[in-house]
Amino acid sequence: MEAIWDGLVEAFRLIFRGDGELFSIAGRSLLVSGSATALAMLVGVPLGYLLGRARFPARTLILAAVGTGMGMPPVVAGLVIWLLLVRSGPFGGFELIYTKQAMIIAQFLIATPLVIAFTAASIQALPARLPDLLTVLGAGRLRTLWLLAREARLGLLAAVMAGFGAVVSEVGASMAVGGNLVGDTRVLTTAIVTETSRADTERAIAYGLVLLAMAFAIVAVLTVVQQRSPR
Amino acid sequence: MEARFEGVRFAYGDHPVLDVPELRFAEGRVTALLGPNGSGKSPLLRLLAGLERPAAGRVLVGGNPAPAARDSVAYAFQEAVFLSGTLRANLDLALRLRGLSPSARRSRLDEAATACGVAHLLDRPANRLSGGEAQRANLARALSLRAPLTLLDEPLAGFDERGRGQMLAELPALLRRFAGTTVLVTHDRDEALRLAEDLVLLREGRLRAAGPRREVFAAPPDPETAAFLGYTLVPTDAGLAGVAPGGLRPGPGDFTLSLHVEQVVDLVACVEVAGRSGGRRIAVEFPSDHPLPAPGEQVTVSAPTGMVVTFTKPAPEPVDRPSRASVA
Repeated sequence: MEAIWDGLVEAFRLIFRGDGELFSIAGRSLLVSGSATALAMLVGVPLGYLLGRARFPARTLILAAVGTGMGMPPVVAGLVIWLLLVRSGPFGGFELIYTKQAMIIAQFLIATPLVIAFTAASIQALPARLPDLLTVLGAGRLRTLWLLAREARLGLLAAVMAGFGAVVSEVGASMAVGGNLVGDTRVLTTAIVTETSRADTERAIAYGLVLLAMAFAIVAVLTVVQQRSPR
Repeated sequence: MEARFEGVRFAYGDHPVLDVPELRFAEGRVTALLGPNGSGKSPLLRLLAGLERPAAGRVLVGGNPAPAARDSVAYAFQEAVFLSGTLRANLDLALRLRGLSPSARRSRLDEAATACGVAHLLDRPANRLSGGEAQRANLARALSLRAPLTLLDEPLAGFDERGRGQMLAELPALLRRFAGTTVLVTHDRDEALRLAEDLVLLREGRLRAAGPRREVFAAPPDPETAAFLGYTLVPTDAGLAGVAPGGLRPGPGDFTLSLHVEQVVDLVACVEVAGRSGGRRIAVEFPSDHPLPAPGEQVTVSAPTGMVVTFTKPAPEPVDRPSRASVA
């Protein structure tokens, strides 16, 4: 119990002292997971919109595949990307393995099914006649999409939160394709694993606290936006 | 603004939905599209709104293909759908999308909301209105556009009985004030007759009759259409005869039938006597002070010639033109 208390005290000291290593790792986590989430939104929202609105024969099958992707263990996503990017793999020539880009790709693979599924569900929940109504009222294609996105904002922001929450907290994929290289690909989750194995409890707790605070801050901002009623 | 169908065929996938060789909605008139469920009424309205494209033929609104004329069309869907936000924001958005200035929007919005009885609801969330309120708001949004062509899909759906009665009384004046040419969909004969000047009858995606309501009602083209219009069908030596709603009375007359009474129902204001004639079930309203028959009795009922049409074949295909009855 004393060790935990000492760990917490030391963790707060590291945070408030502005420990350079701690904040460099936190910044890297934010960069990698933020980029992966942004890319997942870029790809996942249009795909989710299509799956939510369009009706075609393979739709149910694709939704089932997306649902399966939501439950994919991060380490499996990491393994897939590692097999593709490792030097002897099909994309080895790009020399991306053990880089931040490889971590972004792996996290993108984890976040995208979540974004697609949340988007499809939120678009499907809108009244079926809404797009027709906007079309008849004279809204162009882009305006219709914007108004529909605004109506589906609860689900779309839930998609961002789910995607970001999943990737910022994963460790398996980052470890597999990033390699946990000090000063280069070490992020908060892999750093926690490293410090725990070294029995440096204070640092592990400090990293954990920063990770939680970061996730909370981002989700809190998104929640405020999500819950704000449009005029 | 006139709207016109020219050789229009429309299908959902392989399933044919509409086949309308020619149909014209005259400028400034109120037309009711009348037909049973699945007869193609709503697809016809969606074609007019440019929301669907015909597989063949042309739908012209004011001489332009329907999708290009969307700015001339206001459409109130059967299901009142709103975006989140207040009713005011919803009505304002509709006017803003039509490019109106803020002052024009304000006056149009207030005018339509007041006329439709929703002015007191303008600052309420639109998605929390009751069924009747939402339908009135839906109508206010369409009418506020003052479009040359107004399309109303089942405008009285969603009202309770009292609200429906009120709206049925108010709607003709609202249409005169805010709408130009109006096409409304209904499956209710009384609604169509009360609201519209012209009737278009559809069945199984085909046009059965079109024209001024009195003409269409007086001359249904086939027994099925007559039955839909409320005619009582009875077999005759030549085929079938249709008696217009309210045409049958107790006692002998121009067109006389013998009715085997099966049921007598006291409706207070009158008495409904139901039974069989020529194997068909018929109901006749007897005045409440008329001597009432008992079940099992045989009674004579009749209709004046002017309220009877005859069909030479039981189910003619192609459609036979009806003729006025001349039953002695």
